[in-house]
Amino acid sequence: MRTAFRAASALLVSALALTACGSGGSDDDASGGGTSAASCAPSSGPVTISYTTWIPGIENVVKVWNDKNPNIQVKVQTGPNGNGGTYQNFFNQLKANNTPDLGHIEYDALPSFRVQDGLFDVASCDIVAKAKDQFIPWTWNQVSFGDDKSAWGVPQDSGPMALFYRADLFEKNNIAIPKTWDEYAAAAEKVKAAGGYITNFSQSDINQFAGFTWQAGGRWFANDGQQWTVNLTDDKTKKVADYWQNLISKKLVSTVPPWTTEWDNAYNSSSAWTWVSAVWGANSIMSGAPKTAGKWRVAPMPQWSAGEDIAGNWGGSATAVFKNSKHPYEAAQFALWLNTSEEALALLNKEAQLYPATTAGTKYSYLANPVEFYGDQKIYEVFADASGKVTPDFTWGPTMTSTYANASDGFKAAVSGTGTLNDALTATQKSTIETLKSQAIPVKE
Amino acid sequence: MTQTMTTVDVPEGTETPHKGGRAVRYGRAVPFFVVPFGLLFVLFYLVPIGYAIVQSLYTVERTGTFGPAREVFGGLVQYQRVFEDGPFWASIGRVLLFGVVQVPVMLGLALVLALLLDSGLVKGRRFFRLAFFVPYAIPGVIAAIMWGFLYSPNLSPLKPITSAVDFLSADFVLWAIANVVTWVYVGYNMLIIYSALLAVPAEVYEAARIDGAGPIRIAWSIKIPLVMPAIVLTTVFSIIGTLQLLAEPQVFRSFSSAVSSTYTPNLTVYATSSVPNFNLAAAFSVVLALATFILSFAFLKFTQRKGVQ
Amino acid sequence: MSVDAPVRNKVQESLLSRTAAMLIMAVCTVYFLTPIWWLFVGASKSSDQFTSTNPLWFADFDLFANIGDLFAYRDGVFLRWMLNSILYTGGAALLGTVLAAMCGYALAKYRFRGRELIFNVVLSGVLVPATALALPLFLIFSKVDATNTFWSVFLPSLVNPFGVYLARIYASASVPDELLEAARIDGSGEIRTFFKVSTRLMTPALITIFLFHFVAVWNNFLLPLIMLGDERLFPVTLGLYSWNTQVNQIPELRGLVIIGALLSITPLVVAFLFLQRFWRNGLGAGAVK
Repeated sequence: MRTAFRAASALLVSALALTACGSGGSDDDASGGGTSAASCAPSSGPVTISYTTWIPGIENVVKVWNDKNPNIQVKVQTGPNGNGGTYQNFFNQLKANNTPDLGHIEYDALPSFRVQDGLFDVASCDIVAKAKDQFIPWTWNQVSFGDDKSAWGVPQDSGPMALFYRADLFEKNNIAIPKTWDEYAAAAEKVKAAGGYITNFSQSDINQFAGFTWQAGGRWFANDGQQWTVNLTDDKTKKVADYWQNLISKKLVSTVPPWTTEWDNAYNSSSAWTWVSAVWGANSIMSGAPKTAGKWRVAPMPQWSAGEDIAGNWGGSATAVFKNSKHPYEAAQFALWLNTSEEALALLNKEAQLYPATTAGTKYSYLANPVEFYGDQKIYEVFADASGKVTPDFTWGPTMTSTYANASDGFKAAVSGTGTLNDALTATQKSTIETLKSQAIPVKE
Repeated sequence: MTQTMTTVDVPEGTETPHKGGRAVRYGRAVPFFVVPFGLLFVLFYLVPIGYAIVQSLYTVERTGTFGPAREVFGGLVQYQRVFEDGPFWASIGRVLLFGVVQVPVMLGLALVLALLLDSGLVKGRRFFRLAFFVPYAIPGVIAAIMWGFLYSPNLSPLKPITSAVDFLSADFVLWAIANVVTWVYVGYNMLIIYSALLAVPAEVYEAARIDGAGPIRIAWSIKIPLVMPAIVLTTVFSIIGTLQLLAEPQVFRSFSSAVSSTYTPNLTVYATSSVPNFNLAAAFSVVLALATFILSFAFLKFTQRKGVQ
Repeated sequence: MSVDAPVRNKVQESLLSRTAAMLIMAVCTVYFLTPIWWLFVGASKSSDQFTSTNPLWFADFDLFANIGDLFAYRDGVFLRWMLNSILYTGGAALLGTVLAAMCGYALAKYRFRGRELIFNVVLSGVLVPATALALPLFLIFSKVDATNTFWSVFLPSLVNPFGVYLARIYASASVPDELLEAARIDGSGEIRTFFKVSTRLMTPALITIFLFHFVAVWNNFLLPLIMLGDERLFPVTLGLYSWNTQVNQIPELRGLVIIGALLSITPLVVAFLFLQRFWRNGLGAGAVK
């Protein structure tokens, strides 16, 4: 009935819109702009919170909460992953003022939503502000954008990176496990000689490349409050791009598109021997390369200079409260439970292999077990260690979707032999600035 | 335009001239018939077009790095961005190239199959008609997923071919997509042309046959001219479809590295609205719709003029 | 050369062209049906065998177990999508056909002021790409808080300008004015005549319009993609697409996508089988024998 009514009013309003075409754009100002510094006060009486995510099995986690909190019922909706359509939905809903209360947003997309003025500052909720110290500092930095007084979501999971490698093949061919990127490149030659590829360069996973850059000390975006600085072509980024370009040019890495059956096959058929990936990659290998069970191990990420000990990060997301939420306090309360309580984190790990963003979370018992697929190595210890070594000050830009799209277009061209990774980054630098300008976001040229 | 299209299945002149008197006597029934559709057409066709135009004339302003956006009238500034956007025009060029090759191939195949079905040379017409038509039942998204697997070197049943030629590489992927579209739509176009052929009375051919014309001669000089209006119609729809390409390349992005986020004009629109920059996306939409309209309209006019001569 | 050479030549020629024609038909049949055969075979395999056995022939026949898995996945959300698709496409095509038929019929059978204008505007609508409408439609629906509802996809899907165009042609061709006059003399009202007499004459044409409309809505991808956030409202195409984007996180979805694809195309293929008589008659409705 209610939807029928809405539909009827849709008819009516679009009829009105026709007569009032001339003023179409202006009423957005009133609704879209606006009310800043909303307060985070508890609602009175029972509330229902809507929550959109793409975590598989989230229903089971939410059910635990709902059973215990009859007055704060969470209604969960799932959709495609962020860039697969859910972000688009969020942006659309922001425009329409009908976002859910809570949304799943990856760290790299948070600034985009912040720029659209779509997020509620959960640091204004005392419960969240107090919980700050529970989170690994760099994850908190991902939601606060370096500003101590605000937080644009509750950190949910993280993707500290390490080196997955085929222990059996390295041993059989007498190749040492690389500790530095130089050793890694040298190993690549030997692997090639042995008939394999050291890894597959994931042309469209710009996030992985960002993880490499993050480790190397490149900083793509900076924001001084007045304007943004875009720096996709700094020396550190160039160094990383040249490094991989060299491997690509020498055909020491394969270049099948990531996340396809072919890509699985590269690992399953022992054609690719390593993968520098995030903690959640452990599960990708398990499901994509079942034939290689027991043969993989995990070591810390190769370093740029011997003796260093820095990790990169790939992925991770926050649970954000949208600005239009009528119950920000309860929404934040749920988000906090979801991302800090042991029962929720254990379930999230069981259902979706999420790796926590809290310091305590990385030490929970379910992460201390040996993993059979990895020859009973306690792989999560490596990642817990890596998580502590991710540098905290990497900032994402406000139009990452388009930056990723442009970079990945260029990277794809580069692996097909047109241009280089650095050419792609130079072009992306330019197009990113264009995109910022077309959105009237101040940017230093 | 009307004239060209009304002759699809109907031989010229079957439309009876209307007698003047009725308009007055039965005019009251007209609103009953016309208004329901008309209202929906206005609401869900004309209003959105108008609204897109209005949106495309606005631009955003903001202060500071995270300042709230204000929509202000920007005149043609979005259109200036559209015209300066290299990848967008490259994508237009790409779909035009696609159309110039794929549309004739698809319609040529459809025409040949329709003529063969109609020629009496083929046994089991019912079966073939259905077999060729079945792909039309498959939505573009699903067809693209299927062919994506069929092209993948490791999975494909066409392994001998896919291991020699990488259909998903930058050089071939446009034609790989063209094949998907062709596969889906040949049967549909064939059926339209075939129906038009069935509508031609047999006596028309008899005379030619008596004069000693062979089947190919009959097909070329009698059948094809007779079904020309149907071919024009299918061409127009194919032109529109080509410029609208979205679902197939969108799906192919997960199979091929060569399909960029701005591969076709509609992908550009979608990518722009994901930024999100609705105003610029609206301007892209308007330009694209206009280009489609002009192109198909020009094609109709062109064929109409030729038809008159 | 003997006297009967031309005759023999003719027989040979005819045999040759028959063989050539059948050969072309056979090659095309392979081209059109192999992917569907592949889908059917693929859907009958476990995910292990999907990658490791001959793609065009059966291994262990697990089709029903696979279908069971699909229906059980996430509380049977797939069945819900199928139902949605039927409602969106069936409902919109049915109602849309009636509306288009009424409008096209009026344009064909009555002369009134603005008739040509209406017809030309509607016909121009045929040339406007539907994808160009999706974004503004979304923005309009969002003004009244009606996005992410069944109606936000259903209502715009009702409009089919091409149906009006077809209906007008078919009405002019298959409904004789004399019959309408006769009905009038019998005292039947115009609306009654339309539903009782004219629609009957137009039935094959209406089925054609219905099927065209059905396929158009069935194929529409952008509108639901932009409008819908709640997966319980998804049509099956969008649902399968969203699974396909999640394959990297949940690899077992790949198998479900294959089986889902097979099941999603089955109803329409079956409908085509049953309705093919109408297809031919409908498309050739203008034929004057």
